[in-house]
Formats: sequence, C-alpha cells, structure tokens
Amino acid sequence: MTTLTAPATQQQTSTAPRRTVRRTRRRLGNGVASVLLVLFAALVLTPIYVLVVVSLHHGQSAPDNPFAFPTAPDWQNYRTAFVNMHYLRSVGNTLLITLATAALTVLTASLAAWAIVRHTRRWTRTVYQVFVSGLTIPIFVVLTPLYEVMQKLHLLDSYGGIVLAYAATTTPFAVFFFAGFLRTVPAELEEAAAVDGAGLLRTFAQIVFPLLKPATATLAIFVVMQVWNDLILPLVLLSSDSKQTVTLAVYATIGTHTLSPEQLLPTLVLGVLPLFAVFLSLQRYVVAGIAVGVGK
Amino acid sequence: MQIRGRSAMALIAPAALLFTAFVLYPLVRGIQLSFTDAIGPNGGAFVGLTHYVHAVSDPTVRRALTNTLAYTVVVVVVQNALALLVAFWLFRQERVRDVVRAGLLLPAMMAFVAVGYLWSYVYSPLGGPLNVVMDALGLHRFEPVWLGDPHTALWAIAAIYVWMFLGYTATIYLANYMAISPSLLEAANLDGASGWRRFRHIDWHLLAPSFTINITLSVIGSLRVFDLPFIMTQGAPEDSTQTLSLVIYNNSFANYQFAYGTTLAVGLLVLTVVVGVIQATLLRRREADLA
Repeated sequence: MTTLTAPATQQQTSTAPRRTVRRTRRRLGNGVASVLLVLFAALVLTPIYVLVVVSLHHGQSAPDNPFAFPTAPDWQNYRTAFVNMHYLRSVGNTLLITLATAALTVLTASLAAWAIVRHTRRWTRTVYQVFVSGLTIPIFVVLTPLYEVMQKLHLLDSYGGIVLAYAATTTPFAVFFFAGFLRTVPAELEEAAAVDGAGLLRTFAQIVFPLLKPATATLAIFVVMQVWNDLILPLVLLSSDSKQTVTLAVYATIGTHTLSPEQLLPTLVLGVLPLFAVFLSLQRYVVAGIAVGVGK
Repeated sequence: MQIRGRSAMALIAPAALLFTAFVLYPLVRGIQLSFTDAIGPNGGAFVGLTHYVHAVSDPTVRRALTNTLAYTVVVVVVQNALALLVAFWLFRQERVRDVVRAGLLLPAMMAFVAVGYLWSYVYSPLGGPLNVVMDALGLHRFEPVWLGDPHTALWAIAAIYVWMFLGYTATIYLANYMAISPSLLEAANLDGASGWRRFRHIDWHLLAPSFTINITLSVIGSLRVFDLPFIMTQGAPEDSTQTLSLVIYNNSFANYQFAYGTTLAVGLLVLTVVVGVIQATLLRRREADLA
C-alpha cells in the first residue's frame, strides 16, 4: 500500500511499481495454487462424497446419478444396517479390544524401553534390536502358527487372545517409539527420586510415566487406528458373532448378502464413522504420530 | 537413573514374554511346520523340502510373486512421486495446508473392508460412479470391466492403495519440509533457485530422512498386500490379482494346508528380509552421498 502514496524520489518511482506488480502477481499465483490444491483434495474425497450421498438413497437399484443428493434422504437402509451389524455391540467389542490392547502395550513397552535406555549393556542393545527387527515381520508370516498357539492356550475366540496378539504385534513399534522418546529425556529427575528413596516402580509411576504422556497419547492413537481397521486377526481368531468387531461386522454383513448400493453403503458409513470422529477430534496427535521420526 | 541388571531384566520381561510367545515362537514354529505335512493343526511328520519344491513350480505362487513384485514397484514409485508433489504444494500454501492435509488423510482412516466394498461399487460396470463420469466425458469406449479384466484388475487395486495412502505419505514429507530451517530455504530463494531446479538440487537432499521412512513403509506395506484383493477379487480374474499374502491365507485358512501355507510364509519372510537389506543399503548409501 505504501507504494501507492506519492513516491518521494526518482529512484523509488522506477522500482516500486515493478515490485508491486511482481508481488501482486505472486499473491495471485498463490491464490490460484491454493484453489487448485483445494480442488485436488475435493477430487480425492469424491469417493467418500459418493459413499455418503448414495447411502441416503432409497430403492432397490443404483441411482442414475450417484453424485446428486436425494430429494428426501432415506434412513431406512441405515436402520437395517444398524440392526444387521449389531452395531452397538460391535462398537463395544472393538472399543474393549482397543482399550485393553493400548493399555497392555503402553505398560509393557514403556517399562521395557525404560530399562533398555537406562541400563545400557550389550544384552539390552541386543534385546532392543530383536524387538525392532519385529517391525518388518509381515503378520502373514506368523499367522498360521499363531492360530495354533492360541488354540493350545484355549484363547481362540476370546477377547484375551486377540488382545494378546495385537499387543504382541504392536510391541516392536511401541518399544522403538518409547525408547526414542526416553533418549531425549535427561535422567536427573529419576536420580533425584532415587536419592529420595523411591523404589524402582514408584520412580516409574511418579516420574517417568508422566513424562511419557505425549508419546503415550501418540502411541495410543496408533493402536486405535491399527486395531480399528484390522480385518485379518479378528477373521482368524474370533469366530462367534457376539465377539465381532466393527470391521468383521462390515465384512460379515456384506459378505453373506447380495446388496444393492443403497443397502451396502450405509453399512460402510457406520463402519468408518467412529474412526472418522476420532481422527477429526484428535487430528493433531494423528498427524504427530504419522510424522514420528521426521524432526519436530 | 541407573537401573541394575536384575531390575532391568524384570522390567523387560513382560514385553519380552509377550513378543516371544506370540511373534518369535510362531515365527520359529512356522519354519518348522513348513518341513512337515501338517493339515490343519494336526499331523506333522517330517517331509523335508517337499513343500518348497512344490511351491517353486506352483503356477499360482509364481503368479502371486510376480504380481506382488510388480505391484510393489508401481505403488512405491507412484505413491512417493505424487506425495512429494503434494507435500511441496502443501508446504507453500500455508493458508489451506491444515484443511487439505486433513482431507487427504481421511481415506487412510477408513478400514480396508470399507474401502474395498466402496471401490467395488465405484468400479462397478452396472451404474458405477467411475463409468458414469467416463460416459459424461465421452470416454465410453475406454471402459473395461475394471476388476473383471485381467489387464486392469491389479492396477485398479493399486490405484486404490495410492488413493488411500497418498495423504499419509505426503504428511511425512510435509513434516520433513517443516522441520527444515527456514534460513536454508531462504538462502536457496536468494540464490535464485526455483521450480524444478531448486527441488532437484536443494529440497531433494534435505528430504532424505522422510524419503527413507516413506520408501521403507511403502515397500513393507506393498509386499504384504492382502486386504483389497481378498475383499474385492479373491485373486481373480485368471490369478491376475493373486498376491503372496492372499495365497498364504487361502492355503492355511480356506484349505487348512497349514504346512504349505507356512512354507509360502517363510518365502514371504525371506523376500521381505532380502528386499529390506537391499533397500537399507541403498538408502544408507544415498544418505551418505548427500551428507
């Protein structure tokens, strides 16, 4: 704006307008780029838009135009899907399994990581490497024998069995993550507590665990995303309908019926809704969790 | 705080027990099973390398292997190239950055089951939205039965994976961009570097940490691809969407051929380790070159 008020010297009159033009052009370019970026995101989200729109249609056949909102949204298909999926029960099961897995993983992995970081010997380094090598083992490599182990322990088709399996498969990442975090925390606080006569577990509970809070939050969200979206372990380890998770309920509901899109899509919407809610309300932690390991 | 040896053992024990019982033991047991004739959880007489010999000449396994490898190469390259572009774009558009990133991440928050069924509808030859759009654009002649044509099925599925994880990968690149000290990028601007040249000579080097993470994640994820082929095609048409994980699952849990299933699982493990070592060596050499 200053360039518009009368220029005082010869020099300014010659350069200022040119600079303004350049700046305006850049700002305009930025505006266009922003709009294009938003349009690109809209394009990526189109399938989800279609999912919602078509799920609100009523009828036995696909709508001619899957992009148009229905004149009057129809909730009957939602009601049917809700009942067929035993929705509240499935959500409750998933919630139970998720929370138990998160609690078990956080507790065991943070204790182990603490010992690995504060007791640096060759054997703890080896233990750490064994845990971390677990990061690359595809679940399919252990799936069949895991089924056998669960059968021998009478843990097939039980909440306990699937929680142990999830906690075990998440342990490598959790140990890796907590150890990385603890290395950035100085040991002085813990030493002061030890000098005050606090025992090992009290030091952990009162000093270390509270320090880990940001890491714990991120890890818990990681577990939620993992467990909430997984199909393979419930498919193999859980067999009774009453223990179905949400993903399994979606699979079972759709897999056994021939459904029209209007009947199919409400099931999917109900299936993804809880995690969408978690993501949108805790976005900051999710983004932080995804970007773990890439600076701050 | 210095933790004494015995205390350290006690602290590590619960995690170690969990990991040993449900990951390490099954891993070892799986290798052992692959040398037996176990069907379901029963049986298990030693049969030597029979299953391995069989696996090498099994046409379905061969097809699954080539599919998995081709799929991995394409998904890793396309996903990372697109994500780099998007991250570069997001980094410069501060005003819309958070909103757009949230939108692009949304597909990654959906369960594979939901994504699989949703896209089966999108690709449907009977009034599926994709063909509706192509009709509207006058491209009717180029409409294959996306999931029913052996030439397109695998790539139709690959496109969905890219769609799902584009935002995820871009978020990691973007975090790297935002961790770069602004003075470095400013210096680049003052030097008059811009566009492709700036990216090639400056950004590309500074993005090495996120490049390593993203390549590793997408390779690991692609080699074990399972859910979408399982839900959408079951390996059809003509085995064109057969993948190693799918073959393992079907042998073990559809046919109860536990021994053969674990044999293929050992194969997948070897493949993962070999690719992992090659990749780690290359990426480390690259980071060292750039440093």
